[in-house]
Amino acid sequence: MPLKKELCRNFQRGSSIKNFIASPYFDLRWFSSCQYGERCKFLHPTQQQSRPNAFGFGMHSGSNQQQKANPFGFGVQSSSQPRPAADFASQHNQFKPFENKWTRFSPISNASATSSHHPDNQIQSGNHKCTDPESCKQLIVEDFEHERPSWTLTCYGHCKYAPCDISGDISYEELQSAAYDDAKRGLSLQSIVERERNALNFKLTEFENLLRGPYVAPLSSTASQSARLGFGANTSSLSAQNTGQSVASSFGVLHASSNAGGSSPYVPSNTASGSLSSSTLQQTASAFGPSYLPSGVSQQMLNPTNNNFNIVVGQKAFDDQQKNNVCQSGHESRDASVWLKEKWSPGEIPEEAPPDTFI
Amino acid sequence: MAGFGAAPAGNHNPNKSFEVIQPPSDSVSSLSFSPRTNHLVATSWDNQVRCWELTRNGASVTSVPKASMSHDQPVLCSAWKDDGTTVFSGGCDKQAKMWSLMSGGQPVTVAMHDAPIKEIAWIPEMNVLVTGSWDKTLKYWDTRQSNPVHTQQLPERCYALTVRHPLMVVGTADRNLVVFNLQNPQAEFKRITSPLKYQTRCVAAFPDQQGFLVGSIEGRVGVHHLDDSQISKNFTFKCHRDNNDIYSVNSLNFHPVYHTFATAGSDGAFNFWDKDSKQRLKAMSRCSQPIPCSAFNNDGTIYAYSVCYDWSKGAENHNPATAKTYIFLHSPQEAEVKAKPRVGTSNRK
Repeated sequence: MPLKKELCRNFQRGSSIKNFIASPYFDLRWFSSCQYGERCKFLHPTQQQSRPNAFGFGMHSGSNQQQKANPFGFGVQSSSQPRPAADFASQHNQFKPFENKWTRFSPISNASATSSHHPDNQIQSGNHKCTDPESCKQLIVEDFEHERPSWTLTCYGHCKYAPCDISGDISYEELQSAAYDDAKRGLSLQSIVERERNALNFKLTEFENLLRGPYVAPLSSTASQSARLGFGANTSSLSAQNTGQSVASSFGVLHASSNAGGSSPYVPSNTASGSLSSSTLQQTASAFGPSYLPSGVSQQMLNPTNNNFNIVVGQKAFDDQQKNNVCQSGHESRDASVWLKEKWSPGEIPEEAPPDTFI
Repeated sequence: MAGFGAAPAGNHNPNKSFEVIQPPSDSVSSLSFSPRTNHLVATSWDNQVRCWELTRNGASVTSVPKASMSHDQPVLCSAWKDDGTTVFSGGCDKQAKMWSLMSGGQPVTVAMHDAPIKEIAWIPEMNVLVTGSWDKTLKYWDTRQSNPVHTQQLPERCYALTVRHPLMVVGTADRNLVVFNLQNPQAEFKRITSPLKYQTRCVAAFPDQQGFLVGSIEGRVGVHHLDDSQISKNFTFKCHRDNNDIYSVNSLNFHPVYHTFATAGSDGAFNFWDKDSKQRLKAMSRCSQPIPCSAFNNDGTIYAYSVCYDWSKGAENHNPATAKTYIFLHSPQEAEVKAKPRVGTSNRK
């Protein structure tokens, strides 16, 4: 039980939600769950829009995700001193794999060599509320001091369930796939390593900028916004943030399709070791049964995006919406009752000015 | 100049697991067991899909290579049909192939995307194959038709997929997690941003479909319940860390009987956990290379995991001349995978 009074979540939610819904960043698609599920007596439209959850978007965890525009301004550097590495090492005196502060059990662990030690800074990050950019910044500073994962080519969000502060993910497999494609094209191992290093440096710069600069909430960042709003976002957000470095162009190959036929495995040319022989990589174990020849691509597979699903969801959604608006006959004749409503729900806000009779 | 760091040295099989013979010649990207028998399929960066028959002899497990099949490019994912006769695989050639092990016929291409296929799953309740790709779509396929039954747009590239009908969860780039109710597959049921701070690496749906696990590159796993009334049961925990080094969680697998789960990471370790009592049941010894993928067999008596390079330290730490790929089989002891009830409360799944 907390010892001091916590901020009333309901009170906080009320005012901030109105602000948020009024903003252009609100997307009704985020609220696609109803606590009653199948039992609900109201209609759940089958398209992505549905009723907003009664709890707003604080539905996922205890911490509130307040996203209102910050009235305090930005730019105050965090004044906390980062802990030196020596102190950090001495904090590893308690085995605590679970972050949840309510955990009551110490783990049944053996004294194995893999026992890992975890710094005890979970409580702050677990209850973080994005109300104050300074506290956000503080959390970011702590994360980057103590929680930097080994893999750098990653997005990052300081707040659970909240959008990324840094977007632009590259996974192990994507990097490896790009390397294999490059090798097939004849690039040397050295140039592949170089390309990867460039990507790393680019990412590190992004992290540095987030660390050094004033904290700006993700909503105002176009890169993460495009990533959030989904469809049509750039395949590589690195290229969206092209700062003129060659890395952007070299990562164009990350998603480029490789037309190279054949099944030559990864064999970069000019390897230093020189002992790389394609025969070892292409060894097919003789004990395996007949290895099937890959079938030719069927001629019918040339148009994969053709959707021949019978139920057209979009149409149904439109029909539902029209039922709600009681508007069946064309775009200009909208049911007059819309103008009499106190409050419009998203989707039925009229786009044209009200007729004179209502003014 | 930034670099990835050096790879660790050490024992490649400190847990004395049984070794699968004739492993792939390059890293393994996925492992999947037949839902019916002890047949194991591994897909690899050497473009091959291989199948072994495993036999348990008392305490040990032996393997016999059975068959293999080729793609034109590295293969990233695999799935079995529920009747245990057919294997699906997909990869960098942007195709998914269906390979009937029983009939011995040639593999047939059953799916295509505009970018490599990262995830694949067979949904027996719907008789469809679902594929997730870096082209930011999910596609559903009736394997008898060449066009997808439905194409679902994703907010970003598909990185992870888990299906327990009717629950399906897709993890994409930039920490999106999209939840689908497969009774209405054309609409997103819910889209959330990950409770973890960094790139999503793997997801696993609870056997009771009440929620899912999500693993990231930051050595952390999130336990997330879908229903708002169970919010208080959500939590995250850290794992696969070694002092200051933080490794990614590459694989999450629920035990089919006990509903505890295993994590495997780039630190070369695998652990068994119980989310209901929030305990780690067993920490296994660290192997000298990462574990990119793992799987339980249909009754949980075999846990297969691969020890090989997962690119977590970039191209400069990939040494094909000396790197070896292993697939190991671990027979979990009951104490390692059976849930231990909380004192004073009943054991619940």
